[in-house]
Amino acid sequence: MIILEAFILATIFCGFLGIILKQNLMMKIISMDVMSTGIIGFYVLVAANPGLFAPIVVVDGTDKGTEAIAYADPVPQAVILTAIVIGFSIQALMLVAVMKLARDNPTLDCREIERSALR
Amino acid sequence: MNKLTIIWIALPLFVGFSIYLLPQLSRILALAVSLVSLAYGLWFVFVPEPLTLELVGSFGVSLFVDQLSGFFILTNAVVTAAVILYCWSSDKGSFFYTQAIILHGSVNSVFICADLISVYVALEVIGIAAFLLIAYPRTERSIWVGLRYLFVSNTAMLFYLLGTALVYQANHSFAFTALENAPSAAIALIFLGLLAKGGIFVSGLWLPLTHGESESPVSALLSGAVVKTGVFPLIRFALILPELDPLVRLFGVMTALFGVGFAVFAKDTKRILAFHTVSQLGFILAAPAVGGFYALTHGLVKSALFLIAGKLPSRDLKVLQKNPIPTSLWIALAIASFSISGFPLLSGFGAKVLTTKNLLPWQVIGMNIAALGTAISFAKFIFLPHARQPKDLESAASSPGTGFWLAIVLLLGGLVFSNVFYYDAYSLQNVVKPLATIGVGWLAYILVFQKLSVKLPRAAEQFDHLIGTMSLTLILLFWIVLA
Repeated sequence: MIILEAFILATIFCGFLGIILKQNLMMKIISMDVMSTGIIGFYVLVAANPGLFAPIVVVDGTDKGTEAIAYADPVPQAVILTAIVIGFSIQALMLVAVMKLARDNPTLDCREIERSALR
Repeated sequence: MNKLTIIWIALPLFVGFSIYLLPQLSRILALAVSLVSLAYGLWFVFVPEPLTLELVGSFGVSLFVDQLSGFFILTNAVVTAAVILYCWSSDKGSFFYTQAIILHGSVNSVFICADLISVYVALEVIGIAAFLLIAYPRTERSIWVGLRYLFVSNTAMLFYLLGTALVYQANHSFAFTALENAPSAAIALIFLGLLAKGGIFVSGLWLPLTHGESESPVSALLSGAVVKTGVFPLIRFALILPELDPLVRLFGVMTALFGVGFAVFAKDTKRILAFHTVSQLGFILAAPAVGGFYALTHGLVKSALFLIAGKLPSRDLKVLQKNPIPTSLWIALAIASFSISGFPLLSGFGAKVLTTKNLLPWQVIGMNIAALGTAISFAKFIFLPHARQPKDLESAASSPGTGFWLAIVLLLGGLVFSNVFYYDAYSLQNVVKPLATIGVGWLAYILVFQKLSVKLPRAAEQFDHLIGTMSLTLILLFWIVLA
């Protein structure tokens, strides 16, 4: 578990470093996606803390449904689904804006755009 | 009241999309929604009976409405109504009104949410709607300003989401009250997200450019209502958890001084206003218990100022100092500037007195300096030359229309009317201090700042540095929280 957590935190950190260090606007947006993937992973890990099984009680006449099974926590999973959708729509919106900007700034270099757009 | 609350919160989203189907009714529908919010906000301001709602169990959405929310909802309603009146005779399409109303609805929902995830969703919707409004002119400049905003706010919200996961891990709950047992890392991450989103202290350096370069009605919406969504959850945290109160107050003082420091030296009208918004957010945070009233007066005055600044012939103060502006505009400008400097008869005075009363001893010096800075920066507007008639036909053609005056009357009338919320402020002792502050501020302006021309470097406002500043703020937060 601790190794998984370390990997996830490393992903988030790499994404953040990418946002800071990359000059290309496209790369910055992809780095942000990496960071958000890391955070989604963290939620999945939190959800898997108590167990891995789908949290659905099966009632089939036997006593099985009442057994203690290591269920996964459904709340973080539900929450992160919302966050995935939001993150995805923001990415789409940003890419549209980048397409518009790319017409006059084909290199998509952040400093170049900032200089020419805010002149 | 429960059903009413749910209908009220769903109404803007429903109407927002209907506007797109019924473009002829766009302005009327938009105005109607903001009037409904106005009534709802007023109800909670005058009937301070808190309302708690839990939708679908303890893991669902929890809402909490009280007088504090009432003040913020009222601010949002009046600002939105004024902006719609301002745009009434412009050529804005139904897309603009759709976004404005969806923005209005999501800002409202932040003010009544009581769990971290609902706040996250509302803040992200605000980010998207605000981006679409900023990029509405479709010019390269506006798209870049909007993209910058969306990028910074989304990065901030990713940190917030990480903090929220840590809170859930410790408590198995997303409610605000769960912050009590949360690890300090979670508090630092959530604070970073809200500070960056709300434009507070150094992580708020994205704000001057975004608010300064947007169109005037959009700047008015952003400065009047939208930035308060980052501030509101912080105030709630400070009120629910006493151990977070000093942290919020500390950021309040630092922001008030930081923003006003830039505003005093700025020479561009919209940049002065934008930096001043940063400083006023500090005033709201400095005394969390009475922040609602301050937010109301600031929202009214700042949106009025942004709308007026959009009608001034130039943005450059040096040009304005040489060419007189129409007297009617100057009167509106002066009333707004007097209110924000804390002049009696206008509710900016009551808000300042109330905030000063709720300060802790260690905050007083900093906040007095910030109030002095406010008086200095608004002396720049009050001492602008003005003339009865517009000089030439060109300026007569661009003279403001009826919609503009309706919006200004609504906002400034709101400033006079909101005196009723705190009329105890009018005692001799209370009146003398703001007057003295304004006097000293004006003196300082005439003697020193009018001639001074200091150009502060803008490097820190570059896109790359905004994200870098965020990591510095995070380190600062960790250091404060762990100490």
